[in-house]
Amino acid sequence: MSGMTFFLLAAVAKIALVWAVMLAALLPNLVWMERRGAGLIQDRPGPNRVGPLGLFQAVADVLKMFLKEDVTPLYVDKLLHTVAPAILLVPALTTFAVIPFGSSIPVAGRDVKLVIADVNIGILYVLALTSVGVYGLVLAGWASNNKYSLLGGLRSSAQVISYELSMGLAAIATFVTAGSLKPSAVVDWQVANLWNCVPQFVGFVVFVVAAFAETNRVPFDLPEAEAELVAGYHTEYSAFKFGMFFMSEYANMIAASAMIVTLYLGGWALPFVTFTGVWGGVLSIVVFWAKTLAVISVFIWVRWTLPRFRYDQLMSLGWKVLLPLSVLNLLAVAWVVAMKGPA
Amino acid sequence: MTGGLVLFALAAGLAIAFALAMIVETSPVRSVLSLVVTFFGITVLAILLAAPFIAAIIMIVYAGAILVLFLFVIMLLNLNEEAREKDARPVQRVLGLVAVLALGGLLLGLTLRAGAPPVAPSAAAAKIPSPDEIPLIGRLLFSDYLFAFEAVAVLLLAAAVGALILSKRRMD
Repeated sequence: MSGMTFFLLAAVAKIALVWAVMLAALLPNLVWMERRGAGLIQDRPGPNRVGPLGLFQAVADVLKMFLKEDVTPLYVDKLLHTVAPAILLVPALTTFAVIPFGSSIPVAGRDVKLVIADVNIGILYVLALTSVGVYGLVLAGWASNNKYSLLGGLRSSAQVISYELSMGLAAIATFVTAGSLKPSAVVDWQVANLWNCVPQFVGFVVFVVAAFAETNRVPFDLPEAEAELVAGYHTEYSAFKFGMFFMSEYANMIAASAMIVTLYLGGWALPFVTFTGVWGGVLSIVVFWAKTLAVISVFIWVRWTLPRFRYDQLMSLGWKVLLPLSVLNLLAVAWVVAMKGPA
Repeated sequence: MTGGLVLFALAAGLAIAFALAMIVETSPVRSVLSLVVTFFGITVLAILLAAPFIAAIIMIVYAGAILVLFLFVIMLLNLNEEAREKDARPVQRVLGLVAVLALGGLLLGLTLRAGAPPVAPSAAAAKIPSPDEIPLIGRLLFSDYLFAFEAVAVLLLAAAVGALILSKRRMD
């Protein structure tokens, strides 16, 4: 087998693995986890009728969404109304291309790195995709021809753009220490030294808060604040188009959690353990997804615990607190790295 | 190499088609969106030229920031479809056509005279992990091109301050 064929086959296998975990294993069960978690926190059972512990509720919901009538309101911009959910979903599903989800597995005498595309521009790729996702939100709001949708769309895009800055600046600090823009290099640095959440605690906090805002999750879910905006940008969506918004919210949450794990929580690594051989590689994948799942549970826990921010509070938190903090963090980290000299 | 050629044709076609759509489209929102797709095509072209950094920057700066602002302004001002006037500016139209033909002719002539471009070395294309060019760009910006870099930074700062002052004055 030539190098090129092997490379392509490995890439296809890795994409299949990541999407299988994300779409088949995580997405439906996350919805279940969220609703059961909500029940637990609010002292009620949550969905418990369909299957054992209500586990098949997600399957039932997806079936329902497929079978329902897809209502397109009369005065919408038909084309944009249809493509908006897809524009939102595609970046959410493709962010994973640069996230290392395991160490490496030896296959047929070659060492296969467990990251779909270990490109030099890693973090820039993620930022570019996030900024494309904004179009999905804006267009959904605008094309619906409904004031609540438009307000929701504008709110969420303003929010995503504002928090993207702090998020990027916080992330850059981790790449400064690693000396490369590859997420896999950041993980390697953490394996060799220390998990980034300890030396870069400020950046870690900024990144996590910004990730909550980027994914439009409580306490920053102003775009779909049901008390004021009905349902925000997806008010006019039904059936599977609504399902796509739903999916992209969870896919975004998975991607954000995976980024947090990769940049700050050591990625696929565990302290004092080195993963070698085939089983080591498999184990590192398990460790990565377990960590991601743990971060996702924090997202869910926060959603059912904290109240929603007011919109001006959200903006001033982003611009007046998080942005200066992330700049200071970046300066401090860069100063320390510069003092140490080139590695 | 043929795979690259097909991708090039697709991306270039996409970019040109949507650039046309951007001009022809009467709804401002759709016009901006066509420009986004054009930038997407250009991004793919940059990646084909083995310049992923440029590609990412085009996507982040143009598609991700500037055009989103355009979209915001259009949506907030609630601009509707342009009213199609009956050729309000006949002179400009003719001048525009002349300019387009002249520029196009110049480009075409230069391209034809330059002959076939040297075929990209396939050995470099086969080497999947390309050399890390970002540290190189950083080093160049802060050594050989330091003056130009700083000058552009000052220019941008001046423009930002100017924009702030202009918008403030109108509010008073």
